[in-house]
Amino acid sequence: MQAVILAAGEGKRVRPLTRGRPKALLPVGNRPILWYVIDAVVRAGIRDVVVVVGYRKEQVMRFLGSLDLPVRVVVQPHQVGTGDALCCAAHLLTDHFLVLPGDNYIDTASIARVLGETAAVLVKEHPSPSNFGVVLTCGGLVTEILEKPVAAPSFLVSTGVFSLPHEALSCLGSPELTDVVRDYIRTGREVTAVPAGEWADAIYPWDFVALNRLVLSKVHQEVRGEMSREAVIYGNVTIGEGTSIGPFTVISGPVAIGEDCDIGPHVVIGPGVSIGPGCRVGSFTCITDSVVMEGVEVGPFSHLCHAVIGQGTRLGDHTGVVVESRPFPCRGSVVPATFGAVIGDEVRSGPAVTFAQCVVGNSVAIRGHTLVNGDIARKDGSTVV
Amino acid sequence: MCGIVGYIGHRSAAPVILGGLRSLEYRGYDSFGIATLGKNLEVWKKKGKISDAGAVPGNLSGKIGIGHTRWATHGAPSDENAHPHLDCTGTIAVVHNGVIENFLPLRRELEARGHVFTSGTDTEVIVHLIEEQNGADLAVAVELTLKRLEGSYAILAIKAGEDRIVAARRQSPLVIGLGDGEVIAASDMTPLIDYTRSALILEEGDLATITPKGIGVFQGGHPVTRPLREVEWTAEDVRKGGFRHFMEKEIFEAPGVFHAAVKGTTFDEVPLWLRDCTALTLVACGTSYHAGMIFRYLMEEYGRVPVRVDLASEFKYYTPPLSGPVIGISQSGETADTIAALKAAKARNYPTIAVTNVVGSTITRIADFTLMMRAGPEISVAATKSFIAELGVLLALIDMRVGGSLRGHLSGGAQYIETALLADLSDAVALCAPAGHIFFVGRGPFFPAALEGALKMKEISYIHAEGYAAGEIKHGPFALLSPETPVVALCTRGPAYPVMVSNIHEMRARGAPLIVVGDCADLVIEHVADIFIPIPATHPILQVVTASVILQQLAYLTADTLGREIDQPRNLAKSVTVE
Repeated sequence: MQAVILAAGEGKRVRPLTRGRPKALLPVGNRPILWYVIDAVVRAGIRDVVVVVGYRKEQVMRFLGSLDLPVRVVVQPHQVGTGDALCCAAHLLTDHFLVLPGDNYIDTASIARVLGETAAVLVKEHPSPSNFGVVLTCGGLVTEILEKPVAAPSFLVSTGVFSLPHEALSCLGSPELTDVVRDYIRTGREVTAVPAGEWADAIYPWDFVALNRLVLSKVHQEVRGEMSREAVIYGNVTIGEGTSIGPFTVISGPVAIGEDCDIGPHVVIGPGVSIGPGCRVGSFTCITDSVVMEGVEVGPFSHLCHAVIGQGTRLGDHTGVVVESRPFPCRGSVVPATFGAVIGDEVRSGPAVTFAQCVVGNSVAIRGHTLVNGDIARKDGSTVV
Repeated sequence: MCGIVGYIGHRSAAPVILGGLRSLEYRGYDSFGIATLGKNLEVWKKKGKISDAGAVPGNLSGKIGIGHTRWATHGAPSDENAHPHLDCTGTIAVVHNGVIENFLPLRRELEARGHVFTSGTDTEVIVHLIEEQNGADLAVAVELTLKRLEGSYAILAIKAGEDRIVAARRQSPLVIGLGDGEVIAASDMTPLIDYTRSALILEEGDLATITPKGIGVFQGGHPVTRPLREVEWTAEDVRKGGFRHFMEKEIFEAPGVFHAAVKGTTFDEVPLWLRDCTALTLVACGTSYHAGMIFRYLMEEYGRVPVRVDLASEFKYYTPPLSGPVIGISQSGETADTIAALKAAKARNYPTIAVTNVVGSTITRIADFTLMMRAGPEISVAATKSFIAELGVLLALIDMRVGGSLRGHLSGGAQYIETALLADLSDAVALCAPAGHIFFVGRGPFFPAALEGALKMKEISYIHAEGYAAGEIKHGPFALLSPETPVVALCTRGPAYPVMVSNIHEMRARGAPLIVVGDCADLVIEHVADIFIPIPATHPILQVVTASVILQQLAYLTADTLGREIDQPRNLAKSVTVE
């Protein structure tokens, strides 16, 4: 059994977070999504892993090089689709194989379900099916797959995890993998629809908050670093080496804090928070339900909730995040959304800035005492005064 | 990081293992050793590189054997510390890759029971623990021993009188290749490829007994099956991990390397006489010399300590009057000139410090004190990540001198390097690739950064490149400027910014195409430059590092466009061990 993991696409819909890395490398629970996919594949007993890389391939290859398991890397020169990505890896496939998206969370149990099948797809119901390949089934067999239809005839979607026999490679040609499988079905072969267990995709950047929560539910208690005697920890919390937690800080799990962080006194963190390595959190700050990537500084007296903060961003003191539930414009359409803030890499914001359901681009500078809402600061490198 | 190889079959084991170790040399190369089992257990181990090993001694005649190539962690590289390690009776031999975390208590306990240790390594406790299960079958003895170990390991063990190898792993890699009446086990696939294409990969906590006829795998004492896989890839592919060249791989390792170097150079570690010195001398060659020159600018500006930087090759023969400690910088720790210079300083009774990447290299034994770069093995001949690591160590020294006020900037450095790696250099490469001559200019600490940029360009693209202090251009090199000579200028905001801008204008007036690396959102520069490469506007000590990474990338991509032999440029060697 071989596994092909597709990690070439940028993930344009989760911009601005993908400036320096593809969606598959974005961290949830302080580990790239791709790590969880590879971990699940390995736990399912597969050792021959091929990863297709493309967008920011060097960053992906560097990450893969840091893993214990040797994986083979294939470059997809132009990211035209998942079918084309599989085509790039086809010459390495000799056997029955599994195809998985590198930027979706999937658990081992689901993978194990399709291992025995000749040809199968993992499916799951999703409230917004038009973002995926919609699957129509009859008696457990797939009759039709429609890639991102305008009007979805069913809520059942493909998770992008396929188990395929070697001869399915003869149907390659379409840019999208769902079309390849559709062509395979049209040749008269059967593809089973197998219900997936835990599977989650982040369609929009604010979805990382929920994905992070899902991943954190599996965190174990592992506290390294220096904890003040007056700090309190509840639930499952991991704290990396070299991190110092100041006095009177309260951390309620599930929370993951990386290495070399400096969490000042009187801070409240959690639940549902990941803080990347090398972050600094000022005193009297409260963070809940957020993904804070590496090297972020959050000033004192701030409050972050339902926020995704890109790497190297510095937020001034008295920063506030307001969660709102309004339709939000995203790539030409308006989608229902509930979140606080999505802030790109290396943003600098002054004191007392309030973010209210907004997406802020990379390297944006925000003057103090401003209210940022909606999409106004989306453009990379812009200045908000 | 170490590499291990084991062989059992119909061939003489030692040459097979030696070949395997050679292909694992990237995992470590400070010492190596082989033990074979014929009539008796014979051991051959040596400090030094496998490539210089020569022929296998005649007494290693057995058809069962294990071998090891070492990257020292516990105990300096020496003949004694090289693996395999033997028990007190000389009948059991073990090689080990990994770190045994609880080796000190185990060692005390074993010594109390009368075991004699002959090395300073963590591995030796394993073989003595196995010995303690005397009488037991080797597999059982290893199984019992592993229960006492904390940490990571991949182990191969042999015992006189038992025709097999016992293998075990936890957290360190181990694969076993099944050939035709022979089996070869190794840290990665590379040594297997000449003998077999079918391999099985041991899982966490597996223990395997290997005989020429087959492999038995056990997990917690119970037999388990591990499927065989066909190996298709080549050795080179595995090691490069998808990157086309080691140089590219190493450039992209820069953020982590810088972070590790800064973090590893701590206040408690550095002796007082270095922290409180009133003058410093640096000696180095090539890339390391440029790192030293950058250090001089920054240490003098921030630390207010006069620093002298000398080429090691000159220093030995024309030794200047010295004051204060002498620092020698060498990635490999084997650079003949730098070693000779440190010896000369030592002979004059000055304290000496080595900055190196290789634990236990020659330079570390000469110097009074060693600062490690912690960059991991560098394979590409053109130094990239080691230059960044050298800067990391040296900048951490400056930080110590100024009482830790730069630490905040330094710990954020990896982020900025990461950003610099995202820069799009395609236009700059298109301009440089067809050029016959390229000039690199900068001022202050960016002058040595320009020298280093030019050196990288020369080394791998074979384009004639020169670095100049920007002010010096008018004193001669100006005559060479023309529309055919691109100029790469480093111009960030700082004391020399206004004069640098006018230098750029002057060069532009001579028609030279200008590539300028400057602060992002610097509209003045963006306007005047033909190609503008922005780097994050941050503290100058970090901008020197990020600009250097940009220039490394520029050299790499230019050489790649020209189709050069990037990892082994003509006429050059990785470490220059002759004067």
